[in-house]
Amino acid sequence: MQALRNLSDRFLGRGEAAITVPPMDGALKPNRLIEDAELLATLDAPEDLATDGKSLYVADGKRVLRWQDGGGAEVATFDGPVTAIACLPDGGMVVAVDGREIRVVGGNGDGKRWNAAGGRPFVAVNALSVAEDGRILATDGSRDHPSERWCHDLMGLGRSGRAIAIPPAGEPVEIAAGLEYAFGICPVGSDAWISESWRHRVVAVPGGGGKARPVLARLPGYPSRLTPASEGGFWLTVFITRTQLVEFVLREPQYRKRMMKEIDPRYWVSPALNSGNTFLEPLQGAHIKTMGILKPWAPPRSYGLVVRLSADGLPRYSLHSRVDGTNHGVVAAIEHDGALYMIAKGPKRLLRLSQQEIERGLRA
Amino acid sequence: MSDTITRLRYKYWPDHLLGEILSKRWTETGVPVIVLLVVGFVLSQLLDGFFAPAILADTARQASEIGFIVFGMALVMIVGGIDLSVGSMFALTNFFALYLMHVLAWPVFAAVPATLLFGAALGAVNGILIGYFRLRAFITTLITLIIYRAAYDLLIFDYSTQIAAGFPDSAVWDFLGLGEVFGIPIIAIVYVALAIFGHIFLTRLRPGWHITAIGGSRRSAYNSGIAVRRTIAMCYVASGVLSALGGVFFASRLATVGGDIGVGLEVLVLTAAVLGGISLGGGNGSVTKAVVGTLIVLLITNSLVSLSVPGGVNRMVLAGILILAAVIDIRWLKNRHRIISKVYVAPSYHDMPELPSTAPDSGTAWAQNDKLRNVDAIGLGEIEAPEDVLLDRHDNLFAGSRHGDIIRFFPPDYKRWEVYAHIGGQPLGMAFDRNDNLYVCIGGMGLYRITPERKVEKATDETNRSWASVTDDSRLRLADDLDIADDGRIFFSEATVRYEMHEWPVDGLEARGNGRIICYDPNTNTTHTAVRGLKFPNGICIAKDGQSILFAETFGCSVKRYWFDGPNKGKVEIVMENLPGYPDNINLSSDGHYWLAMVGMRCPALDLAWRMPGFRKRMAKRVPVDEWLFPNINTGCVIKFNEQGEVLESLWDLGGVNHPMITSMREHKGYLYLGGILNNRIGRYKLEGADPNFVQYDLRWGKAK
Repeated sequence: MQALRNLSDRFLGRGEAAITVPPMDGALKPNRLIEDAELLATLDAPEDLATDGKSLYVADGKRVLRWQDGGGAEVATFDGPVTAIACLPDGGMVVAVDGREIRVVGGNGDGKRWNAAGGRPFVAVNALSVAEDGRILATDGSRDHPSERWCHDLMGLGRSGRAIAIPPAGEPVEIAAGLEYAFGICPVGSDAWISESWRHRVVAVPGGGGKARPVLARLPGYPSRLTPASEGGFWLTVFITRTQLVEFVLREPQYRKRMMKEIDPRYWVSPALNSGNTFLEPLQGAHIKTMGILKPWAPPRSYGLVVRLSADGLPRYSLHSRVDGTNHGVVAAIEHDGALYMIAKGPKRLLRLSQQEIERGLRA
Repeated sequence: MSDTITRLRYKYWPDHLLGEILSKRWTETGVPVIVLLVVGFVLSQLLDGFFAPAILADTARQASEIGFIVFGMALVMIVGGIDLSVGSMFALTNFFALYLMHVLAWPVFAAVPATLLFGAALGAVNGILIGYFRLRAFITTLITLIIYRAAYDLLIFDYSTQIAAGFPDSAVWDFLGLGEVFGIPIIAIVYVALAIFGHIFLTRLRPGWHITAIGGSRRSAYNSGIAVRRTIAMCYVASGVLSALGGVFFASRLATVGGDIGVGLEVLVLTAAVLGGISLGGGNGSVTKAVVGTLIVLLITNSLVSLSVPGGVNRMVLAGILILAAVIDIRWLKNRHRIISKVYVAPSYHDMPELPSTAPDSGTAWAQNDKLRNVDAIGLGEIEAPEDVLLDRHDNLFAGSRHGDIIRFFPPDYKRWEVYAHIGGQPLGMAFDRNDNLYVCIGGMGLYRITPERKVEKATDETNRSWASVTDDSRLRLADDLDIADDGRIFFSEATVRYEMHEWPVDGLEARGNGRIICYDPNTNTTHTAVRGLKFPNGICIAKDGQSILFAETFGCSVKRYWFDGPNKGKVEIVMENLPGYPDNINLSSDGHYWLAMVGMRCPALDLAWRMPGFRKRMAKRVPVDEWLFPNINTGCVIKFNEQGEVLESLWDLGGVNHPMITSMREHKGYLYLGGILNNRIGRYKLEGADPNFVQYDLRWGKAK
């Protein structure tokens, strides 16, 4: 019966075969807040943000910077690109290097290193956070592709993401596996909320592992890192957004495979962190500049989106940089000192948006 | 390997024909005809002597009798009603004819018209009630069905013995019933004659058009001044007359007034009409459909009778067919446009060789640069959609706009402008002839001419229809660019014959040779198609030899040459192929070469999709047009090439910041003027080292006196 249903769905384009994308409406109604945010700096390769309540830390390439007085002061340098950082309550910091190793720098656990969990080496550790009980939580995006090749995992229909917990004294354990890309994790009570990017949803997993329960599903984009907001709730970055064309290509195995084999990944029909750089990128109908204007509501190849979630995981409002903007591919957003700091990975920018600006922008 | 199969499959299987055939109105008749042929074939295999002359003649008689009534029903259905009383009217007129002949012994020439008049009167009751009093057709004719039937039953109770006893001594009366001309029953001849008249009536005469119009939309018909009530009433009268005609022939053939005559006839007739494809909703039907439906139903019922199937089963089969036909009718009418639009788009296999590099460090003439970044903008925000730009010998700058105007900018600074002429359609390519007539291709309209006195004249909007084409390709759909030969002949491209101008992306999705080059000769005022099967032919330029044109195939990514004169006359030769972008207009340059506008650039994802027609077909069905993978026309460039097809230089505006999209360019006195169909400006670029006195008009037609 299910097979028949799948067959008829495929023929009629219904159910799983539907390529429809939820509209950006309600709490996701577009604005220009990210596009108009204050530009603090353009960095070499910004990747993640962390705060210990006193300072803001930025992972930039192989370095970790402490952001102060309008500039970055180098805190540490590593032998590979830093793919995620988080601050430990004891003043130390946990860092993912090259996606393959999690290290503790400073604090009581200085020098600790892990590079595997459940008998499987880390490949794409892309987000870190620390629970109140001192456990380190991490997501390992994919078994097959390092984190900079996330697009290969998406177009290859990867489902090998996992979430990992490292107890204060002990070895890493998997608390969730088989996720369709895991990118972003945040402790919520005894649970961990995980962004399951390719399924456009955020799931809650019990701290000790167990069945995943969707908290927020059917997002119009691919969720990524998740950080707590000061007034309760969370900031969820949505680093790329969905389009009907990509949904369609994901359901076209032959085209998808030939594209991955024959075409440079920069020019795939896929979401991207930035776009409009060259005519070799695929163009969709609504992208055509008419009378000198690119429509902001054109299908987004790249987009900037941060969603403010309530404490129970429902979207309250959102911040945008639309298709005609440049602050796209927001991978990290963290609240610090009364403002939201963001990394737009597309243009490699560090952005700042104060609470007042957000309130003013939403009222407008 | 599988690529080869795909290529052959799409090369030889004409996918595009299915949609074109389905969008023809005659396909709706085609389906019942096919059913008729199948039914006829199956029954001829099943029954012995199915095609024996005697059987055929008998079938023809019955078919004609019922056929008259189906015509009446068809008329009523086309006008948007229904006539259930046909069976009772048939019985009553049958009785009336027999009463006149057998009992009153009238002569045939009086009895037949009297019977037809009687039928008209019966029909008029329906007509007046439904047409003028606007009662519901279904209820009204149901009531008249009962009343007429009751009257018939009362009358035969009184007169059946008298009729049976009477014996009209009339050879004409017998001839009506059983006579034959060259072995063909007389009734069949009358039927065919009536069918021919009916066809002409419905398709060529005013009342026929009125009937269809009322059935299509009663309110619109009323608003356009059609006498709706009278026309409807007359349709019911006609139905009565046609029933009477059937009754007359039936009376003359069998001379019987049995109690079951005409019982259930309305179902048979209705089934025939619906099965033939006459829509229950009105506004859609033809004589052919009525004839085909009649034949199918009669063949089935007759064969059931000869197979000794009980009468009840016979009726059930009829009813079953009726409901099936009605369902198909309604579903088809509702979904016709959706089905056609899904089937019509038929992508082809379009294999492009590997994309040549245009990288800034590629070391070729294509290497990207930012030369066009600083072009001046003329008419910024004032002109919309100047596809082509043209300068005359007095330095006036002409350009089209999407409001259907030709705009003239005045020299020297081109800040002042006026509407030179209003045409109404989107102007595309433009050229001056020797006598200062401005010829313009208008998308959706054809080739137009603006005289020096600013009078707008149509030059041509049609060409010869090609026999092999299913769609009517005689009308011009998308005349695109033109140039004028020395003898005044105008060669212009028509980008596609399958789509309208705003549907150009669909043509790009198909990437089939849907376009052609057409020649208009103003000396003889004739038009003919010169070359066909081109992939979106676009820019056209008379080559310097004066015997050939260079033309660009936008989705073929190539420039070709066509000789219209000289030793190579009729030949087509490739000048440039596998261009990295989509070529548009071609024009002369001052140094003896050619300028070519690239409206957009190729991207690998679309190149791959062009090799996968199935993928594109599904995309067309499932993805909205705004989300389709498109040819990238946000970035373009201008190149200069020589007679041999070598690219000499290229001018770019990367990212299209200042001048997105370039569809045309024209060199004039040291400047290059740039047009773009989706732009709100005309670009002007200073050419270094170009002839400061170059005027294209002078080069073509000689210096002005």
